[in-house]
Amino acid sequence: MATQNPATRKAAIVGGNRIPFARSNSAYAQASNQDMLTATLDGLVARFGLQGESVGEVVAGAVLKHARDYNLTREAVLGSKLAPTTPAYDVQQACGTGLEAAVLVANKIALGQIEAGIAGGVDTTSDAPLAVSDDLRRVLISLNSAKTMGDRLKALARIRPGQLVPDMPRNAEPRTGLAMGDHAAITAEEWQIGREEQDELAARSHQNMAAAYDRGFFDDLVTPFLGLTRDNNLRPDSSVEKLAKLKPVFGTGDGATMTAGNSTPLTDGASAVLLASDEWAAAKGLPVLAHLVDAQTAAVDYVHGGEGLLMAPVYAVPVLLARNGLSLQDFDFYEIHEAFASTVLATMKAWDDPAFCKEKLGLDAPLGAIDRAKLNVHGSSLAAGHPFAATGGRIVASLAKTLHEAGPGKRGLISICAAGGQGVVAILES
Amino acid sequence: MAALFARAALTARGRGGDLPDTRLTRTGVTVDPANLAAYARVCRFPVADALPATYPHVLTFPLQLALMSDRAFPLALPGLVHVRNRIEALRPVRTDEVLDLEVWAERFATHRGGATVDLCASVSAGGAEVWRGRSTYLARGATAPAGAPDSDVTVVVGDLDRAAATWRVPADAGRRYAAVSGDVNPIHLSGLTAKAFGFKRAIAHGMWVKARVLASVANRLPEAFAVDVGFRKPLFLPSTVILSTAQADGGWDAAVRNATSGTEHLIGTVRSL
Repeated sequence: MATQNPATRKAAIVGGNRIPFARSNSAYAQASNQDMLTATLDGLVARFGLQGESVGEVVAGAVLKHARDYNLTREAVLGSKLAPTTPAYDVQQACGTGLEAAVLVANKIALGQIEAGIAGGVDTTSDAPLAVSDDLRRVLISLNSAKTMGDRLKALARIRPGQLVPDMPRNAEPRTGLAMGDHAAITAEEWQIGREEQDELAARSHQNMAAAYDRGFFDDLVTPFLGLTRDNNLRPDSSVEKLAKLKPVFGTGDGATMTAGNSTPLTDGASAVLLASDEWAAAKGLPVLAHLVDAQTAAVDYVHGGEGLLMAPVYAVPVLLARNGLSLQDFDFYEIHEAFASTVLATMKAWDDPAFCKEKLGLDAPLGAIDRAKLNVHGSSLAAGHPFAATGGRIVASLAKTLHEAGPGKRGLISICAAGGQGVVAILES
Repeated sequence: MAALFARAALTARGRGGDLPDTRLTRTGVTVDPANLAAYARVCRFPVADALPATYPHVLTFPLQLALMSDRAFPLALPGLVHVRNRIEALRPVRTDEVLDLEVWAERFATHRGGATVDLCASVSAGGAEVWRGRSTYLARGATAPAGAPDSDVTVVVGDLDRAAATWRVPADAGRRYAAVSGDVNPIHLSGLTAKAFGFKRAIAHGMWVKARVLASVANRLPEAFAVDVGFRKPLFLPSTVILSTAQADGGWDAAVRNATSGTEHLIGTVRSL
């Protein structure tokens, strides 16, 4: 185990708050990223009595972001019940944004640079930014810089009707042109992930999350917003039989196994997590649910290197385990983000594959299998939905509470895949 | 509501006498989320679960207008100038609460420029009052009945010499607020229609200016508060104006003035109740 710098301390996770997640163009169709992030911060402020107070830093981000929202998090802070003297900044690491934000806040706490901070994320696919087409944008820029009427007319003459169609944000990789689902379908086929096991994982996610709601697990993690009290993607009566009826939407031919049921839908929502030093939490009389022990990122060459777009966490986890002297089985709970059911299954299959672990991960022995009873025990993104940057905060807060309920000394692993072939993973401990 | 404005204009002549005792009510009112979101965007409130404190005014405004356009109302609606507005937000109101509205007129008063009348509104939820509004209108040259009290249109603020924000108020600000509030008074809609009523250009709705002021401090308000503003000189469209704010007595003082001439459009206070 690597030696801990004696000058550092582990950041405590005090608690979290999120608004229920809503499928695209439903309950939050009128809400902007700033509206949702502000409401989420205010819910956290109310829960932990931080009205009018300042915390060391608020770090959050959005994946789909309007150009005007360059200072999204700071603007949300200025519109929130936090003191206006609270610093804030934006981060963006695709679906890893929320967890990366928590790691950044935790690191500053660990170094003693701040005593408490809030990590969060928000995304809307309903109020998404539309951009003018790149051709039109160039014309407008030259129009703006034109000095003479002649130059202006020349610039205007370059406008073509086709350029007036705006660019819609697409869930596609810029370098491959493939949708994320298409990438995941390639990985699913490579790892021979079957339709039935994907549907089983999806059904269990819905059932686990519905049960958690029913027993009140989310009562102090979720604040109702705009008429929603639960995630409206949640199907408590989901079953393998029902999911089996859906037609594949990604992949081709017999290998097409991925449906709208075992893939996450476009979702709107926001989440936030309060992190602090133990001393700060104690002074405020606030609980410590868990500590953020360590984190790791990785990236894969999914363009030319033959790697799966969403397989980077597979590489990040062994690095994290080695640094902390742990095996993959040394955890009481696993939170593997369900971008697609097939992604979770391929990730676990890769860790259990001797050839892959030797050749790709450079390990003497495979990391091995994990106990599926410990996986996503309160449901994950297939049930809740996946507002990209908000997912990390949802998982960190839920896992911290899960560990706290299980008692001291329990350990949890978070694994989140992200667009661009990246992955963020972290260890929490109660 | 355009029909009410038209009726009020056509029946403007020959009005007089004292205020009617009429109380107009509407019960079981629910907020239309789409209209509320549009209102929030125009006034810069966040889309959230609590109603902006200025929004119930929009709900009660049609009743105000119905009362004022009725022949029994002694003053002619065209030409009435909104000079003061006081709102008491007794508690935060959730957007999904079912509301009962009541509107009446009172306090026919003598003003040095004519007569004023207060259009009052009360909003209740579950039988308990949650919101009160009082809009004071001035009828230039009108005479209040004998023995009427003096008008009270004074709002006092402290020094407000520091600019908090500059607003570029576009030419269509009146049309945008009219679309979300239903206040389609022609003086706000275009230069041409404003000229017909004696204004050189279209003017911004006072309640829009008030709402924007309140929105600028919306996250820093007491649970229960009164926001009281005096509308001074018209805000001609388009204009660039400056908002000045200062914390005062646990609340706020605010002023909105023209950026170049310094003409005062609004002064107001927010105080906890």
